[in-house]
Amino acid sequence: MERKNFLRSLMVGVISTPVLWEACKKDTDTTAVSTETVSNSGSGTSASTCVVSPTETEGPFPTKSPSAYVRSDITDGRTGYKMKAKLTIANVNNNCAALAGAIVDVWHCDAEGNYSEYGGSGMQSTNYQSVHFLRGRQTTDANGLVTFTSIFPGWYTGRATHVHVHVYNASGTSLKVTQIAFPEGSGTAVAIVNGYAKGLSGYTYNANDNVFSDDTAKLEIATVTGSIAAGFDLSIKINVPG
Amino acid sequence: MKTIVLCYRKVIDANTLQAWEQMVYEDSYTEFKLQFQNLDKNHEYHTYAELLRNLPNAEQLNFLISPSIVGYLRQLQERIPDVVNILGKHFLNFKQFRFELINSDIRTISKHKIAVSFYSEPMIWLDTIGNHLLLAERGQAEDQPILTHLFPLQPFVNIHSLQQ
Repeated sequence: MERKNFLRSLMVGVISTPVLWEACKKDTDTTAVSTETVSNSGSGTSASTCVVSPTETEGPFPTKSPSAYVRSDITDGRTGYKMKAKLTIANVNNNCAALAGAIVDVWHCDAEGNYSEYGGSGMQSTNYQSVHFLRGRQTTDANGLVTFTSIFPGWYTGRATHVHVHVYNASGTSLKVTQIAFPEGSGTAVAIVNGYAKGLSGYTYNANDNVFSDDTAKLEIATVTGSIAAGFDLSIKINVPG
Repeated sequence: MKTIVLCYRKVIDANTLQAWEQMVYEDSYTEFKLQFQNLDKNHEYHTYAELLRNLPNAEQLNFLISPSIVGYLRQLQERIPDVVNILGKHFLNFKQFRFELINSDIRTISKHKIAVSFYSEPMIWLDTIGNHLLLAERGQAEDQPILTHLFPLQPFVNIHSLQQ
């Protein structure tokens, strides 16, 4: 806006020049000189930083790029046992029919129990290629389904094995923030994976987990099948107010 | 001989007009509005500043928003934008970055203000001539003259780290 006004003022200057020229030619003694001082000096920044301007061929030209979250395989080279997760999103405001077009974010920790995020102090940088491992985003299909390829999560002190889920409607309004719990006991995937290298000593089971302990109906517990050799398959239905 | 990493902090706000910056600006704002809801579960707040004052983990928004601009960082092909040597040519490469939310408000994009910091690959600092650093890329052949860049000191470019 400021720039527009500035340009307009330049144009006014150009148009009015001949008039001034005429005025000068007449040169009568009654011509008063304007004492109006500049109140808007423009908004250019060229004077404030004394550096060389770029002088190169233009390009490469930027193109619209989706968020790096948007991918089905969220492994990013993390080692662990393969896990395919199928989440079906249903709408409780529509008799739990499939909710199409919903945005589904998932994130979980790696085999050692660590999340991708900046560590430590505010000065810390990160490599742009691998910044957000084990985090992903998909949009549900006509059946309300999203699929992610990942690794079986590890665990950390104080929590049972879990996957975070955030469901948004198509326009980005939050519908539900929840977590997926895993079945426990002999023969379950949690027992077979056995906490990777850590083992399960000191593990927090669902009954003692501060998020899952109140889930007496076991609505948050997924169905998990498979093996270490073949990989695991997780499936769960999540009901949201769509 | 000293090896330095330069950091260029590029501030982008509603007045920034170029195409790359605008895409980064708009997409980081869209992601801000999504991730904001992760933290503001009871719909109490509107701004990043309010979250910082009231929630201990609000700072993680910086990280959570950063994937929204990764596609645009890739398009730079590892070349730090804007910063040029005395010939007017871009010459610094990067792999490391940091996204920073300065201000933002879920009610209007006009309050959105961000910074992207680019961390250069390490450069050798050979000499200082007036207001200029004489820099060279690492790994050049030892039996040949070293190719150098004369680089003027300027605002928003810091020597991030130094190794003797």
